[in-house]
Amino acid sequence: MSARRTSTGGLIDRSRTVRFTFDGKTYTGCAGDTLASALLANGITLVGRSFKYHRPRGVYTAGVDEPNALVTVFKDGVREPNIPATQIELYEGLEAESQNRFPSLDYDISALNQLAGPLFGAGFYYKTFMGPVVGPIKGTRFWMVCEHFIRRAAGLGRAGYDKDPVRYERMNAFCDVLVLGAGPAGLMAAEAAAKGGRRVILAEQEPRAGGAANWSGETIDGKPAAGWAKTMAERLAAMDNVRLLTRTTVWGYYDGNNLAALERVGDHLAARPPGAPRHRHWSIRAEKVVLATGAFERPIVFPGNDRPGVMLAGAAERYANQFGVVPGEKVAVFTNNDSAYRAAAALKKAGGAVIAIIDVRPEISAAARGLAEEAGVVPLLGHAVVGTAGKRLTKIMVQRFDAATGRLSGDVRPVEADCLAVSGGWSPAIHLASQAGRNPAWDGRLNAFLPPEPTQEWTGAGAFTGAMTTAEALSTGRDAGLAAASKKASRAKLPEVAAPALEVNPAPVFEIKADGKAFVDLQNDVTADDVRLAHREGFVSVEHLKRYTTLGMATDQGKTSNVPGLAIMADARGLPIPDVGTTRFRPPFSPVSIGSLAAEKHQHFKPDRLTPIHDWHVERGARMMEVGLWHRPMIYGDPGETVEQAYIREAAAVRASVGIVDVSTLGKIAVKGPDAAEFLDRVYTNMFSTLAVGKARYGLMLREDGIAFDDGTTWRLGEHDFLMTTTTANAGNVMQHLEYFLDVVWPDLRVHLTSVTDQWAGAAVGGPNARKMLEACVTRSKVDNETLPFMGIVHGEIAGAPVMICRLSFSGELAYEVYCGAGHGTHVWEALMEAGEPFGITPYGMEALGTLRIEKGHVTGAEIDGRTTARDLYLDWMLSKKKPFIGSALMDREGLIDKNRIRLVGVVSLDGQPLGGGAHIVEKGSLEDLGESIGHITAFCYSPALSKYIGLALVKGGKARHGTRAFVSDALRKRFGPVEIVSHHFFDPEGSRMHG
Amino acid sequence: MVERISPLGEAFRPGTYGNLAEGPGVTLTEATPVTIAEAAAWPGSAVALSGAIETVTGLSLPAAPGAGVVGGGAVAFSIGPGRYLVAGAEGLSTKLQAAISLDMGTVTDLSHGRAALRIAGPRAEWVLSKLFALDFSPAAFPVGEGRATAHHDIFAQIQRTGGEQFDIYVFRSFARAFWQELCAAAEETGYEVR
Amino acid sequence: MLIPCPHCGPRDVSEFSYQGDATRTRPDPASTDVKAWHDYVYNRSNPAGRHSEYWQHAGGCRTHLLVTRDTLTHEIQAVAFARAALNEGAGKP
Repeated sequence: MSARRTSTGGLIDRSRTVRFTFDGKTYTGCAGDTLASALLANGITLVGRSFKYHRPRGVYTAGVDEPNALVTVFKDGVREPNIPATQIELYEGLEAESQNRFPSLDYDISALNQLAGPLFGAGFYYKTFMGPVVGPIKGTRFWMVCEHFIRRAAGLGRAGYDKDPVRYERMNAFCDVLVLGAGPAGLMAAEAAAKGGRRVILAEQEPRAGGAANWSGETIDGKPAAGWAKTMAERLAAMDNVRLLTRTTVWGYYDGNNLAALERVGDHLAARPPGAPRHRHWSIRAEKVVLATGAFERPIVFPGNDRPGVMLAGAAERYANQFGVVPGEKVAVFTNNDSAYRAAAALKKAGGAVIAIIDVRPEISAAARGLAEEAGVVPLLGHAVVGTAGKRLTKIMVQRFDAATGRLSGDVRPVEADCLAVSGGWSPAIHLASQAGRNPAWDGRLNAFLPPEPTQEWTGAGAFTGAMTTAEALSTGRDAGLAAASKKASRAKLPEVAAPALEVNPAPVFEIKADGKAFVDLQNDVTADDVRLAHREGFVSVEHLKRYTTLGMATDQGKTSNVPGLAIMADARGLPIPDVGTTRFRPPFSPVSIGSLAAEKHQHFKPDRLTPIHDWHVERGARMMEVGLWHRPMIYGDPGETVEQAYIREAAAVRASVGIVDVSTLGKIAVKGPDAAEFLDRVYTNMFSTLAVGKARYGLMLREDGIAFDDGTTWRLGEHDFLMTTTTANAGNVMQHLEYFLDVVWPDLRVHLTSVTDQWAGAAVGGPNARKMLEACVTRSKVDNETLPFMGIVHGEIAGAPVMICRLSFSGELAYEVYCGAGHGTHVWEALMEAGEPFGITPYGMEALGTLRIEKGHVTGAEIDGRTTARDLYLDWMLSKKKPFIGSALMDREGLIDKNRIRLVGVVSLDGQPLGGGAHIVEKGSLEDLGESIGHITAFCYSPALSKYIGLALVKGGKARHGTRAFVSDALRKRFGPVEIVSHHFFDPEGSRMHG
Repeated sequence: MVERISPLGEAFRPGTYGNLAEGPGVTLTEATPVTIAEAAAWPGSAVALSGAIETVTGLSLPAAPGAGVVGGGAVAFSIGPGRYLVAGAEGLSTKLQAAISLDMGTVTDLSHGRAALRIAGPRAEWVLSKLFALDFSPAAFPVGEGRATAHHDIFAQIQRTGGEQFDIYVFRSFARAFWQELCAAAEETGYEVR
Repeated sequence: MLIPCPHCGPRDVSEFSYQGDATRTRPDPASTDVKAWHDYVYNRSNPAGRHSEYWQHAGGCRTHLLVTRDTLTHEIQAVAFARAALNEGAGKP
């Protein structure tokens, strides 16, 4: 045991030694230690360098409010910076490193910044680096020069570059009552609500329940408070309707009583069990919330208040009582309230030497006097600390102080001390309440903000409400729990608390004005003078103050600095504190790992969507491509083939004999009901009510604004039964569009829509031999021209599986779409392959599919791009004049029928070079003067049918330019060359092949 | 009769996985109802339609939103106002089509279009809570009832088919991806694939 | 934000698709009054406060809901199935 470790007491396990390293050196601590308590136990008080001035800093608090002791932790092969040492539970092999120092913590070069102190005051960056270049060292250009050095010198820890290999998860939870904070108030609230039969979640950010009971040194029901809390927590955890979440910080309070929490599942473990996440993000929906989040102690601001060894009194008490560590050998206490006296007594009891208690107040309570006696000192009343000395604290300076006027007088007396425990009073932790409430209310007696009026379903309990004693915590806790469970208040006896009767209200002293740097925000190195400078320069609103000085920013979000900062600004403005206002607290309450927000490990945001024939494609060696979420074959490459060679081979094979392509991804919607035909007439530009049963028709949909929306074929399977197909990309949008019109616009129509995209596997077989191969495998139906004419549908079987075949052509060949149940997809596909074998059937991918359609001039999403009209695409023949349809009213607006709109054409490369998608079409042939763009290429390929590079394009004037020359200009790919503008029907414009 | 191929492919690997310190917390299986169908009523015809479902399956569906029944050879649950998912034996769709007249509503066969994945065991609620923002507690989600929800892009209709058992109906094309997510989510509690 | 779906119960807003202002009326389908169509398609009021909106429960029962919502506080005052609400209103084209 080290000198600073007590031999008994506390909640640590002295029998379990834990080894860890700090800055490469090995130390030991005990199970139950935090890194901070273990470092203190080892006598290490200097643990980091400050943000701007590189001042030596130590452990300042014992909890989540820590502004100073930020370290980098190495675990799982990644470095994680800026973790408060007070929040790191010790585990075997923990590796931590101090930050913002070079070459070492003890000798830091940048500490020279301290000499340049005045230079780095509030607004330093704005004043030095912004604005026009005036003189040699001012302005934005100067910033460019300095940035590198400043970024290295300033700031917190360095983030790593390695991918975080660790698992994060999310969890959804529902409860009747969520209790935040498992201190005495929260425990009572949870118990009352649980006994009332409510489903309760009790969330505690620390590893153990109990809150202040773990270090108050009080007794509850005759037992040490920590023991009482432990028993309570165990009892609660054993209840079926209670979930106790320790190491869980509720960090955000959102609409609908939804709260976000971070559970640190694995940070305290040397090794996590398989499948266990490091962090778990909880999204908790609670009927009622009880906020029992306690209070934060705040410091008094005085010169030299940042030296290692200076810490909050409550933290010192906690180190002594919970961790069995005396944070110094000679402890002095500086306070404006009674609570620090309890700390003094605790430190003495733990074996520390309490040298002095300096109190700004002229009078103190009898209870405080009693505690001072226990601590073995006579308090120095009406005094203040006005300075400190030592890289690590060696002494403090004390002077007479008048709390009423703030005036110092008399001699400055040095007192030797290596630890100064400071208390400036307590502020309720109203952060979450502020996210779910109105403006907080200033309490002039507590000198703190109290929780606001709620705007959501929460009540408060304990110190959070300003009820600072444990007895009040127990009673308000129980009341809040009962209220949340909608139960009547109880008159049953509460657990009895034995505690000194301390005065809870502090003296309204926030700052001791004397010479030297007095820090308000230790994390951002914001001094009291910075606040006054901001005031002088006009940044008087708290929001401006925050942004100008960075007060209250960064990882601790000003938990210790908020109220002192406001008080100093109020003093500067001559206003009462509440008139200066407070900034609203936003989520997160404390830092949240990005991993936990992303949370999901297994492609959750982008699941693979596979067709029923997927595995066949992969086994066949297809190169797959992602089309939205779908995976589709791009090419089935033969060894040594390029993509271009492969698609040319595949497309040519279709025109020569027969090919097969997986079209299962097409959107398919079952449209059923007595009004189905009428409905289709309204949503398509062309008529569907006239379509015969057993026939399909190509349809076009517009949006309400008259722009083309989607196209596809719709099959009439029965009088009141249609199967609509949509483009792959638009399937979801079309479904939603149709549902909207049925629900909102035509609620009287009796039509049902069901997505059946996944019900059907689809294979398109096309080519001069397509019919012959179908004849070889289709049973129970003929497929000759008479039985199955163009756009006809038959039902039959292939290899014993029921199929539905529609004679459709996207390739321009004699072609059929064969649909079967998705579970039979591969079976039918393989049967088709077998039937096609004598014809040399070629499976083809998306590239060949695109090639075939470009040769035919069929449009897809590249042309129906949300800007083009039916006319632009020469689909005006589909616009029925016999009926109104969605988009008909606005499609003929002046701008939409303008002659100069870009319209669909074909382009042929005249220099034998490929074209590129998105390339501009220009009229002038000179690279120096391209003139205006007259359009762009939407799709391109090498056409095996034409033996040329061709493309589809949208070009001003469209058809009128057929037969003219232009140029492609693609600066991005450095492609410039002549093209001929032609009809988009490149191949077999009469359609003789598909009708054959 | 041609055998239907599972969409899970090689992702279905029987065995035990994950943290097995306390034995597998859940069992994952592919429930394979021969028929899955959606029956939808016109406004005002929901009662008649559920009567027709009862005639065909023997399942008596309460009228409440989300209501459902697990019966002998069939299950049914509400997936929207007047809409039910019915699963069961061969020929169920045809029988439903015959029993539900055009005046009552429509039936759409989805036997190939949906995959039913089953999770069972003491940690089933815990594992599902990782993926869906639903209250899976028995009080909020009693046996037989159904819920429609989504996990990002994956739409899911879920029925509690037992005290510790849920059947999750997803679009067939997402089944493999969802199965893998389910497995990943169950690593923490340990799982057995059967 | 939670939307209490009449079929599914309260669900997170992420399950819903915003489907627009519910206060506008679609002109008669045969109407050629371009101004009326223009208003319907393009013009929206953007009230700070109470507003009627359509939300589709896309990640749930798929129905469109008529939601009365305060755009300042996210408070939802009323929710109904759009289809039922409109059928009750009757007389729509």
